[in-house]
Amino acid sequence: MRFNVILRYVGVVMLYVAAFMLVSAVISLLDGMDSSFYPLILSSLLTALLGIFPMLFVPKTEQINNKEGFCIVVGAWVLACFVGTFPYMMWGGEFSMLNAWFESVSGFTTTGATILNDVEALPKGLMFWRSATAWMGGIGVVMFALAILPSLGKTKMTLSNVELSSLAKDNYRYRTQQVVQILLVVYVGLTAITTLLLKLAGMGWFDSVNHAMSACATCGFGTKNASIAYYDNPMIELVLIFAMAFSGVHFGLIYSTVVGKSKNIFRSEVTRFYFATLIVGSILVAASLFVTGVYPDLWSSLRHGTFQFVSLITTTGLTTADCNVWPSFAVMLLIFASIVCACAGSTAGGIKIDRVLLFGKMFMARLRRQQHPNAVIRLKVDGVIQESEHLNAVAIFIVTYIALIFLGAIINALFGLDLVTSITAPIACIGNVGPGFGDVGTMDNYSALPAVVRLQSTVLMLLGRLEIFGFIQLFFMKWWR
Amino acid sequence: MKGIRKRVTIGFLSIVTLLFISGMISLFELGHLSTDAESILNNSRRNMELGKDMLLALQDHDRAVSRIAVLGERDSRYDSLCLNSISRLETSLLAAYDTSKSNAYLDSLTTSVSELRVMTGGLLASKPDSLNIVPGAVWYDTTYDAEISKIRDQVNGYMTFTYNRLAPRAEQLSHNAYRAVTPVLISLLVMIAIVLMLFYFITIYCVNPILGINKSLSDYLTFKLPFTVKTECRDELQDLKENIETLINTSKQNKA
Repeated sequence: MRFNVILRYVGVVMLYVAAFMLVSAVISLLDGMDSSFYPLILSSLLTALLGIFPMLFVPKTEQINNKEGFCIVVGAWVLACFVGTFPYMMWGGEFSMLNAWFESVSGFTTTGATILNDVEALPKGLMFWRSATAWMGGIGVVMFALAILPSLGKTKMTLSNVELSSLAKDNYRYRTQQVVQILLVVYVGLTAITTLLLKLAGMGWFDSVNHAMSACATCGFGTKNASIAYYDNPMIELVLIFAMAFSGVHFGLIYSTVVGKSKNIFRSEVTRFYFATLIVGSILVAASLFVTGVYPDLWSSLRHGTFQFVSLITTTGLTTADCNVWPSFAVMLLIFASIVCACAGSTAGGIKIDRVLLFGKMFMARLRRQQHPNAVIRLKVDGVIQESEHLNAVAIFIVTYIALIFLGAIINALFGLDLVTSITAPIACIGNVGPGFGDVGTMDNYSALPAVVRLQSTVLMLLGRLEIFGFIQLFFMKWWR
Repeated sequence: MKGIRKRVTIGFLSIVTLLFISGMISLFELGHLSTDAESILNNSRRNMELGKDMLLALQDHDRAVSRIAVLGERDSRYDSLCLNSISRLETSLLAAYDTSKSNAYLDSLTTSVSELRVMTGGLLASKPDSLNIVPGAVWYDTTYDAEISKIRDQVNGYMTFTYNRLAPRAEQLSHNAYRAVTPVLISLLVMIAIVLMLFYFITIYCVNPILGINKSLSDYLTFKLPFTVKTECRDELQDLKENIETLINTSKQNKA
């Protein structure tokens, strides 16, 4: 394994992170050089130095192996989160070292959980940087760099193969170069449209851009302490519901639909299942809210129920209401949404609805096999037969995911958290959702949690973002020959 | 400038830049902290002095009024002491307003001092022998003492209030001290990373090839083994390797 090559490509990603810091510094400058200007400009300089240094020494390499590619991707994620803490720590305020790490990891992994009690106290430059971390993390920091980089030949293919999960690659019938470009085009397009629609719905430009970046990255960072509840505007909520819902769809399918290809979101079995889950879940939550009298009329129940269900299933975490006071049935549905989450190949985290669909089919196949032991049962998704190795991987992923939630819950309980917080905090972190229930509810934050729990939450966020095995692999490098 | 020289220069320039940045930030932040601390100390000292002046003026006023009202000693010394102490009180109040623009304690103190001035005017305007307006010891014990006690409490309140206001600022200062060293620490951390990278890159791109060339050349000279060295960069070491290869080939051709 060539460590110098790894450093070079991680350095390239650092340069993109530095560029976003610089853009945030410009925002700060436009805001009358607010208190975040110096922290941002200095962080940008330091990050750029870190990134450019290996590039001066290490020559460009066309060929990198899978092991190196893996180290580049994981290294870039961890280092991006690390340098992402610089502006926060330099600015001060509520950001201690651990809090800055939490906020940075939460942004890059698009979790959207925060330790800030007063988001509105942040200067505009830092607020934009917070949203920018989420936006970069949305399609993946490495993928983001790859989409803009000129052709790197086999290097690009290796890196994109490591960054994109096997499920995410399913719907692409293009070359690597095109795949990363499609990702970027869809992502930028969605963000631009959402910004425009939010502005038309009544938000200011700055808030529109931030919320669009946050919603399309399915992150949930807002610019107001009360999140979307601050605006109390059904049009804004409607725009965000659509933005979040479409950000949870496979980007390749969105592209195919827009360019008129036959394989589109209407024909994909996974997308149909996803939209059906969205509709049924939203109606059930709304019905629960209406029947128990949380909201006086059906319209309010439907408005808040739909927004919250879509927000949690897409792992966004924006909020319009305090879900802690909602009835148990609605809360259980929202917890279910936080575990299942949206489609692979989108910006969402969690188990992914693709795996849930496959798991359901495996369950049915198991029942049929018990009735007909000699039957040859093939599982298909969108007409494609699924290999047994792939099915095993899905089952192992789901089991490991649930096991990690329980492990996180046990650690939380050890540090004195109540039952609901202990269980829902790991669900919200590993699924990159953000808000949970109890002390980490939609109107609360993670600042009151013990330091160990906050640190553990960041590990869960990274595990979730790198699809568990991507991160765990880092500790078993010696086995990789 | 190219090759090894360029890389080493850039490496050291980066370190120097970071050292410079760290130094500048330290100076800037420490300067900031020093100004903040100085301003807190100055404000604290000034407020204490103003409070002390006000209390001394009140004491002088009290002494003069007790002479006039209780003992009936009408003397120009006491009259002027009365007026002077009021003026000193008002001057201190104006100075206090300069330090803290809006302060409820100062506003009520100003009202009370105005009342005291009216009361003093009444006392001084009364005839020395009739004490119609100023009913002697009784007036002093009830009306005047109540007024002066009220003003004394207000001055004490003002002093406590300014002290309480300075305490959070001092606490903020300790937070700022932590924040002030953070950019320096981060710059140093990045500098350490760059030094480590520089060491690593110089080892693999300069030291290792030189050692390789040396070993290969020794092997060629001692055992006549072929001169083969692998270099990754196109720099002076690559040129050196190629020059040695040319030299060996020329030497071989000459021998032939």
